[in-house]
Amino acid sequence: MGQKQRVDQQPGFVLHTHPYRETSLIVEVFSRDYGRMALVAKGARRPMSALRGVLMAYQPLLLDWSGGGEVKTLIRAEWLGGQPLLSGKELLCGYYLNELLVKLLPREDAHAELYAHYAALIQRLPGETRFEPVLRAFELTLLSELGYGVPLEHDAETESPIEADAHYGYIIDRGPVRDVSPEDGLPMVTGQTLLDMAAGRFDDPKTLVQSKALLRHLIQHHLGAQPLHSRRMFKELQAL
Amino acid sequence: MTPSTLDALIEALRCLPGVGPKSAQRMAYHMLQRDQRGAARLASALSKALEVLRHCARCNTFTEDDICQRCANPQRDPRLLCVVEMPSDLAMMEQTHAFKGMYYVLMGRMSPLDGIGPRELKLEKLVERATDGQVEEVILATNFTNEGEVTAHTVGELMRARGLKVSRIARGVPVGGELEHTDIGTIAQALIERRSV
Ligand SMILES: [Zn+2]
Repeated sequence: MGQKQRVDQQPGFVLHTHPYRETSLIVEVFSRDYGRMALVAKGARRPMSALRGVLMAYQPLLLDWSGGGEVKTLIRAEWLGGQPLLSGKELLCGYYLNELLVKLLPREDAHAELYAHYAALIQRLPGETRFEPVLRAFELTLLSELGYGVPLEHDAETESPIEADAHYGYIIDRGPVRDVSPEDGLPMVTGQTLLDMAAGRFDDPKTLVQSKALLRHLIQHHLGAQPLHSRRMFKELQAL
Repeated sequence: MTPSTLDALIEALRCLPGVGPKSAQRMAYHMLQRDQRGAARLASALSKALEVLRHCARCNTFTEDDICQRCANPQRDPRLLCVVEMPSDLAMMEQTHAFKGMYYVLMGRMSPLDGIGPRELKLEKLVERATDGQVEEVILATNFTNEGEVTAHTVGELMRARGLKVSRIARGVPVGGELEHTDIGTIAQALIERRSV
């Protein structure tokens, strides 16, 4: 058990909440300097609780907490403002981002760069019309920041630079390789897609389609057996 | 009473929302020790409710009939369908006396991270209700939480795809409310959603 520690005015976002005991909430937050944390918000489910309206996902907050165990005690949450509430498709995207973070980010592991990417992305979601490119860029940052290297610039076997016109199969944890047969069952991408991904460019339609399949494959690998509910709901919504 | 009967009662009480092992134990001891008549009343009310209550075939709220009295009332406007999360929300809407249309009660809300989506909410039942040929406008009156908002979006998309007019109840500063005593989020959103006068 760590020492009892007090943290003040920490920037963070609520990722998810669930009921705890009779009137409290366990709040999963993504904080700038401490990463993903579990905080108990005592009495936050009482109708007149000051915390109730503030602990909303996709809103930048300043958080005070203390405690030494795995679950800390939330002392204060302050609304920073300046962020319109999400609605419509942008909200579905928000749920997808939060589900990725809840399921892939280990607790109490700081990821300043990922936090900055997330905060900037949440800010630009309202009014965004092309969600796919920004989601792909976030997925790539997430995988790299978590230490799941995503080599994109060199052939994993020959170490020669990627050629735009060539076709590559992608081996998890190793990278792109040429001369693979369909029986290997590897996700296939063109060299151009790999180069675009390495440069953070997701505008080309072909790059978008191929990078989506590749990133989905990698994310599913790291999720293991855990399903992504928000992805299933996208599909259900389209089917109804 | 053998200990296992007592344990079973305590365990059963834990199905109530927000009731942990400690509260369940307190409730069980209280009923058995201090209020056996109350406990008997609860037991019979509960088994009666389970026996006779069902979901209204039209609005999905609890009723003893196939179709509830509200849905059967010819005075109500069948062209308007108001979608709410829970029966308690319906009760609030009714208290306003401002709405004379019909209702649909979702009995919940979407919560994607908890795996509650269109399928779990049985939205196909709402689609069936709204496409009865009489409904013209669907009013989304789910809560102004992220869950309520994503539910409103999803229902709205489904209804629009079927050619129905869709509207969302407005939000803002409470009637009789003073800015000084209103929460920051409400004021911020009221400003973003301001309208010309
Ligand atoms: Zn009814």
